[in-house]
Amino acid sequence: MNDEEDSGEYLMRKKLATLLACMALGSVACSEITPTSVDDSLLPGEPVTLEVRLEWATFASNLEVLGGYGRAQELGVGILAEDFGGTLDARTLVRFARFPRSVSVPDTTNTTVVDSMLTLLAGRVVAQLDTLASTNDGPVTLALGATDEPWHAGTATWTHAVDTVNGQVPWTEVGAGPVTPVATAVWDPAQGDSVVFELDSAQVAFWGDTAQAVRGARLDAVTPGVRLKLNQVALRLDMRPSVNPDTTVVLTTARTDLTFVYAPSPEPPQDGIRVGGVPAWRTVLDIDMPATLSGPAALCDVAGCPLVLTPDRINYAALVLRARKGDPAFQPSDSLSLDVRPVLLRSALPKAPLGGSLVGLTGRRVGPGIFADPEGTEVEIPITNYVRSLVEQDTTETQPPPRTLALLSVFEPISFSYASFFGPGSPEEPVLKLILTAGPSVELP
Amino acid sequence: MKRPLSILALLALWGPLPASGQSLMNAAGLGLPISPGDARARALGGVALGLRGATILGTDPSAAAGLALPTVVMTAQPSWVDFGRSDTGESGRFRGTRFPSLGIAYPAWSLGMVTLTFESYLDQRFEAERPVTLQLLDEEAPATDEFVSRGGVSQVRLGFARTVGQSARVGVAVGRYTGTSTRRLVRSVNDTLAFESFESFQDGGRWSYSGASLTAGASVTVGEFAEVAGSATWSSGLEATASEDTRGSDRTWDVPLELRIGASAVLAPGLSLAAGITRADWSGVDDDLADGASLGSTYALGVGVELTRATFLGRSAPLRFGYSRRDLPFTLADATPRETAWTGGLGLALDQVGELVRAAVDLAVERGRREDGPVAEDFWRASLTLRLSGL
Repeated sequence: MNDEEDSGEYLMRKKLATLLACMALGSVACSEITPTSVDDSLLPGEPVTLEVRLEWATFASNLEVLGGYGRAQELGVGILAEDFGGTLDARTLVRFARFPRSVSVPDTTNTTVVDSMLTLLAGRVVAQLDTLASTNDGPVTLALGATDEPWHAGTATWTHAVDTVNGQVPWTEVGAGPVTPVATAVWDPAQGDSVVFELDSAQVAFWGDTAQAVRGARLDAVTPGVRLKLNQVALRLDMRPSVNPDTTVVLTTARTDLTFVYAPSPEPPQDGIRVGGVPAWRTVLDIDMPATLSGPAALCDVAGCPLVLTPDRINYAALVLRARKGDPAFQPSDSLSLDVRPVLLRSALPKAPLGGSLVGLTGRRVGPGIFADPEGTEVEIPITNYVRSLVEQDTTETQPPPRTLALLSVFEPISFSYASFFGPGSPEEPVLKLILTAGPSVELP
Repeated sequence: MKRPLSILALLALWGPLPASGQSLMNAAGLGLPISPGDARARALGGVALGLRGATILGTDPSAAAGLALPTVVMTAQPSWVDFGRSDTGESGRFRGTRFPSLGIAYPAWSLGMVTLTFESYLDQRFEAERPVTLQLLDEEAPATDEFVSRGGVSQVRLGFARTVGQSARVGVAVGRYTGTSTRRLVRSVNDTLAFESFESFQDGGRWSYSGASLTAGASVTVGEFAEVAGSATWSSGLEATASEDTRGSDRTWDVPLELRIGASAVLAPGLSLAAGITRADWSGVDDDLADGASLGSTYALGVGVELTRATFLGRSAPLRFGYSRRDLPFTLADATPRETAWTGGLGLALDQVGELVRAAVDLAVERGRREDGPVAEDFWRASLTLRLSGL
């Protein structure tokens, strides 16, 4: 073996030894479990966590209720009411789509063919109602009529058949009238969620004639003291095919327009907070967090007062609203989902753009029962991150978040009824609930 | 020249790695002092000074004077610990690995050896929990305080060692304390569903350690059979500077003068006896600690024997056994904390030319117990040291 081979073998052995040793050193460094104990004495001084409620004047101002967001047609359902709450009347307007012109049916030789020579025999309007959101417990009588005047689904109101920027056309008779009576039916929620109005062939043919500008149906509640929510309306057609005259085919025609008109329209509240309804209501308010707190005493004892409000001390922040009974006619009969969004440009209200939801996609869901006696049920709407960012902005030079918030429903419109809450100046005024933690600073030993 | 420097740079990245928690007593006072020395010293009962042969020790700069080639020494130290408390019945198990030392020595022409050492000094890594109940206006909310302490104190020393005459060696090193400590308290509610929007409370900070030290050491060979060495370390004090976003304050603690003596002697051919003692008076730190008190003077004693003629696979593989006992300077329970351990180990020359060992591995295993009043920890601790020369 010459010197060169000897040197190469030596280097190889040394590299191998180094590699093995490094692998051994590295392998022992795996899977750490840190010494952990529940010994209280090993922890620094215990911080104090307390709930603090700021009164309205301490954190908010300039409450304002705005209405007019959205249209009845956008709700996608119908409302029927007759003297509900002593005041409310509501009627639903429906327009049906063009009838099917052909159908595939078996002929007399049992071969399926497309038949476009259909004979209209009769029909019926089937209405599906919401048993939970409707206020009746027993049977109610409903009436179906044919509208005698043209109407615009997007803008029709109790007083106007058309109410656009290009012009207004009032109903000859307020309340979407007059109509030609077609049929009546009784809906008993104990029997199911649907009610059927039988029609003759002439009425059905009239509603299928798209050249008729006045075509349309109006549904009324006849029984007083009820408010009904209509989920769907469809027109069922009995047709006789020419290829097999002994057979009757039932076809369904969807509706093209569904809206409702009602009276009276609710007036803006003199005080209080309103969210929801059709057109929807929003409530806006300005938030201005205090820089320091002077209580409660337990917090001051630990952290000293005045206590500077910093983001890290705020564990939880929620706007606490107290529910109140609103106008009985618009009392919620189903759950509502509340949302809070920052108003990005306050000067542009009521058309100001809004920021993202502070509550989440599903909003803060509240049941209808809290808007009844006893009043004052609290509804917490968490806005922790927003309040923390507000406070942080006060202590740093970061981009300030909007200081105006809008309370609204998750979607607008989301329901015919609206939520009512006590406003500033009331004993049940809104408050800001804060859960704060403060304590001595963590120090070295 | 390029290759040695690149290897040294690579090894420098290895250390100083932060010490990993290996004892609940890291929570006492300034933390748990890390025993100095490599795996050979651990196997001999912790006796690091006065051993035959040259090595790199931060606590004794003169130990490198006998090195003939550029050398790197690095040590890893895993532990497996069972702990229990007689007062609360609490028990648990944890494990961790620290890399307590890394040393580099390089010849300074013909003047001697320049050394650079990185050593862990105080281990401060631990966690603790505390159940609490938040008293809100309308309800109670169970919550938990979690406290996490990470980091510790290390020392970086730059030293110089050389021989004096035929049988004496001297060395001196200037050092700087370094390292960081991160301490964080987190309070979070247990029922995250009920308090969906609850943001945990967090407080804490980060401190950087600094301070200067001076270490001097000397050793002498007595005849053909004995080695005697001593060293001392003086420190200016340990300073902790809080980072800008830390609410906690800056701190300063006295660091005691450490005195060390070690010796070894050949009792018979192939059989050596080693013993050593270290003293440090921590009473000066009492006034600087926010709570609790130090133990005062602490001693670390060790004794071991080495069977140098043992072989393994035809290579020199000395066997070592020993016993160590050391006082711990800080207490968790107003007691006298102490660590004792029976030790053993072996060395293995991976590459040896004559008397010159160019690559070697040393392994030590310790079975010991730490006691501090009601707190007791039984541990297995291994030390693995890799020594490479002639890079």
